[in-house]
Amino acid sequence: MRYQPVIGLEIHAELLTQSKVFCTCKNEFGGSENTRVCPRCSGLPGTLPLLNKNAVYLAAKAGFATDCTVNNYSSFDRKNYFYPDLPKAYQITQFENPICTNGHITVKGGKDIRINRIHIEEDAGKLVHDDYEGISMADYNRCGVPLIEIVTEPDFRSVSEVQDFVEQIALRLKYAGVCDARMEQGSLRVDVNISIMPVGSDTFGTRAEIKNLNSIKAIGRAIEYEIERQSDILDNGGTVVQETRRFNDNHGDTKSLRSKEEAHDYRYFPEPDIPPVLLSDEDIEEIKKSMPQMPQVRFARYTKEYGLPDDDAALIISTKEFSDFYDETVKINPDYKQVSNMMLVELNRNLNDLEKTINDVPFSPCDLAELVKMSTDGTVSKNAAKDILKIMFDKGGKPMEIAKNNGFIMDNDTSALEDVIEKVISENADTVQSYKEGNEKVFGFLMGQVVRAGGKGVNPKLAKDLLTEKLK
Amino acid sequence: MALQKLRDMLDKKEISAVELTETYLNRIKEKDTKINSYITVCNESAISEAKNAQKVIDSGNSTSFTGIPVSVKDNICTKGIKTTCASKMLEDFVPPYDATVAKKLKNNNAVILGKTNMDEFAMGGSSQTSYFGGVKNPFDTSRVPGGSSGGAAASVSADLCAAALGSDTGGSVRQPASFCGVTGLKPTYGTVSRWGLIAFASSLDQIGVVAKSAEDTGYILNGIYGYDENDATTSKKSTGDYNCLVGSNISNLKIGIPKEFFGDGLDDEVKKAVLNAAEYYKKLGCEIVEVSLPCLEYAVSAYYLISSAEAASNLSRFDGIKYGLRSGLGENFNDLIANSRREGFGNEVKRRIMLGNYALCSGYYDAYYKNATRIRTELKAEYAKIFEECDVILTPTAPTTAYKIGQQENDPVKMYLADIYTVTVNIAGLPAISTTCSYDTNGMPIGMSLIGKSFDEKTLIAVCDRFEKDFERKEAVL
Repeated sequence: MRYQPVIGLEIHAELLTQSKVFCTCKNEFGGSENTRVCPRCSGLPGTLPLLNKNAVYLAAKAGFATDCTVNNYSSFDRKNYFYPDLPKAYQITQFENPICTNGHITVKGGKDIRINRIHIEEDAGKLVHDDYEGISMADYNRCGVPLIEIVTEPDFRSVSEVQDFVEQIALRLKYAGVCDARMEQGSLRVDVNISIMPVGSDTFGTRAEIKNLNSIKAIGRAIEYEIERQSDILDNGGTVVQETRRFNDNHGDTKSLRSKEEAHDYRYFPEPDIPPVLLSDEDIEEIKKSMPQMPQVRFARYTKEYGLPDDDAALIISTKEFSDFYDETVKINPDYKQVSNMMLVELNRNLNDLEKTINDVPFSPCDLAELVKMSTDGTVSKNAAKDILKIMFDKGGKPMEIAKNNGFIMDNDTSALEDVIEKVISENADTVQSYKEGNEKVFGFLMGQVVRAGGKGVNPKLAKDLLTEKLK
Repeated sequence: MALQKLRDMLDKKEISAVELTETYLNRIKEKDTKINSYITVCNESAISEAKNAQKVIDSGNSTSFTGIPVSVKDNICTKGIKTTCASKMLEDFVPPYDATVAKKLKNNNAVILGKTNMDEFAMGGSSQTSYFGGVKNPFDTSRVPGGSSGGAAASVSADLCAAALGSDTGGSVRQPASFCGVTGLKPTYGTVSRWGLIAFASSLDQIGVVAKSAEDTGYILNGIYGYDENDATTSKKSTGDYNCLVGSNISNLKIGIPKEFFGDGLDDEVKKAVLNAAEYYKKLGCEIVEVSLPCLEYAVSAYYLISSAEAASNLSRFDGIKYGLRSGLGENFNDLIANSRREGFGNEVKRRIMLGNYALCSGYYDAYYKNATRIRTELKAEYAKIFEECDVILTPTAPTTAYKIGQQENDPVKMYLADIYTVTVNIAGLPAISTTCSYDTNGMPIGMSLIGKSFDEKTLIAVCDRFEKDFERKEAVL
């Protein structure tokens, strides 16, 4: 039988706050074990949580990045379970009243994926098992790192929808400054809830939850494996059981972690130590105002208003910094296509050669705007523009100055050029003869001689016209 | 001796801080074997704190607490001093930080004499569930001192400190104060920071004061109240200057007597004594009105559901992993955690944890926890209605006076029901004060309680003080 997958996501994103969500320990990645730990985040008796307002602020921004409603009232709850990496034996999270609700993201193909909620919670620590010594050690550095959990409705029907959604979420969170979305470091982690049903059916099957997928590729492989596994079960007359599974990246398969029967009863109840979070309409409006324009909005602008091809627009929005640089440049020189070409081809080439990013560009968008203008209005040749850009990277300087100092300004004086051409013709009589006998291939050689003799300022178009004329 | 008088003596150098501290330490050494009110006595640090206090006094910079010897309940974290919650689980726990109240005491050069005994994790009304042995009542050592701040109340009653910090989750300051014949103040929720108070039930817990008089409770509260960034539930509404109405005319006040507090289960002698106190206020010119709190019959149930649910969660952190007792047995995490908790907690604590987890389980949550929160809302509304009319409410503190040790230990439900007159105050977050209003035929103190409007401790203290000034209080003789 052919089956239709039904997929929903729970995405955990670490917030880019300076400190942890309920204490003042630094929120960082890596470092020695238990060096970012205090009485609060290690759950010492008598300690109380201290809510980091910036975490609330960033969670609200995540809401705006995904077209959610940011709520005036939200509150915290305790999720109770025993595990040695959870020092209080409960996680503070938002269960009843999440900060953001009812968002959506449009994936490729135009389908809307609904976001049920975004809530704030704290991360747990990490256990390190030493099989050789037969011991387990707890590292609480990650305890209390602020997270948001983004929960979608089960609206996905294909791997590509899921992957596009996750890529968009990651990009939007980065644009909003909410999360650095480094999946390989675990700052963005995806849980996939997946069930299958016969094509044409509208009754959902029993779902399995696959935990902690940490790459776009792993998401795809895990879903494909699950579709096959669940299909096999149903085809053989079995029933899929509700359970939590773990994806093994090396084997490309999923293994059961715990069944529904083994699932915890989290005994949620309102966190009595943290008063509800109250955001006024003005607070919410202020946060909204601080949002940068989101990538999908920029993409639409680039393709619809600026007439850029989809591929080019997609490349420009790939980081906020690149897109910001482009926007600043076209603000000064609204030659959208030429600026795009200069950035996507020449600027990127230099960045790649230097192993640098857009943040390291040593000149301003204003300089780049001028360079593009000089290239398009004939002040310098296209080739000269490339050379100038390289000098701007290597030695710095303003494009016009570089052009002048290096003789890149195109010389449009016909009489001087005519002298050069006359000289080249007289010095290459054999080649000229060959051309006149019909060997047009040698024209390029003669042009080369003209450019070499005339210097960097030779206007290639003018030279070509004059040479053709003289050779008649 | 009144704290203000002690203050004057210290400042006038009629006694030195070291002499005063030594006097108390010697009394503790001599008398506390009879009542077991302290778990830890800070012999050395107290003397060194007293010496520092004397330097401050000598320099003329003393503040209200300088050199005043106090006891601190053993669920309030004191840096470098064991804080056990009277539990085997925390037998050797030495906090690396100070509770906000401990810091305020230290910053103002109070002398911490020691850490007082209590019911394990503050769960109980008899101070008999302590891992370190039960506390005895200074008026009659065959009787309980009440609880859970039984050590605090006994230490004040037996003159083993000048005043004591306790904690009150369902009456744990007021009821032992009543049993031990002293004064106990439970401030409005949010008045005193809970930072460093080892949580029992976070939405109900409030640090309170046990002292020799209402005025003394105000004296101490003046030094420990206030908004604290470390405790997001503290309020900026608390005003300070809690003794400012002491001695003022209270004859224009209206005092409510809630009829439900004087029904079945109330000891006749207690009833008579509290109604006599009402009569006293009437003679002063106060208007006495009968009021009603119909929710009272549900209050004990609601209290035990909310407090046990929060306790079950709060006490989950004691898992043998990070601090406290760790059982050596077990093959895996689950065994380690389960065995540590089995060994570390006493029966009453286990009973509350099970009750609390049961109330929070999916499937039971709505019937138990959620309904309890509805009672809470209703109770607050009923109190608000009473306070539209009345300035304070007068009730008994407990249905009986101190009972014999061992008398109620095997009947937890009966013990829970004995909290009926105190728990509503915590559920509603209100302030209340208990003081002795008479003595029963056995010579045991009878306590009455005054309940006030939110953040109106001033009026409570003034009304309580007026009674105390005309009442001849007996001293416990040890």
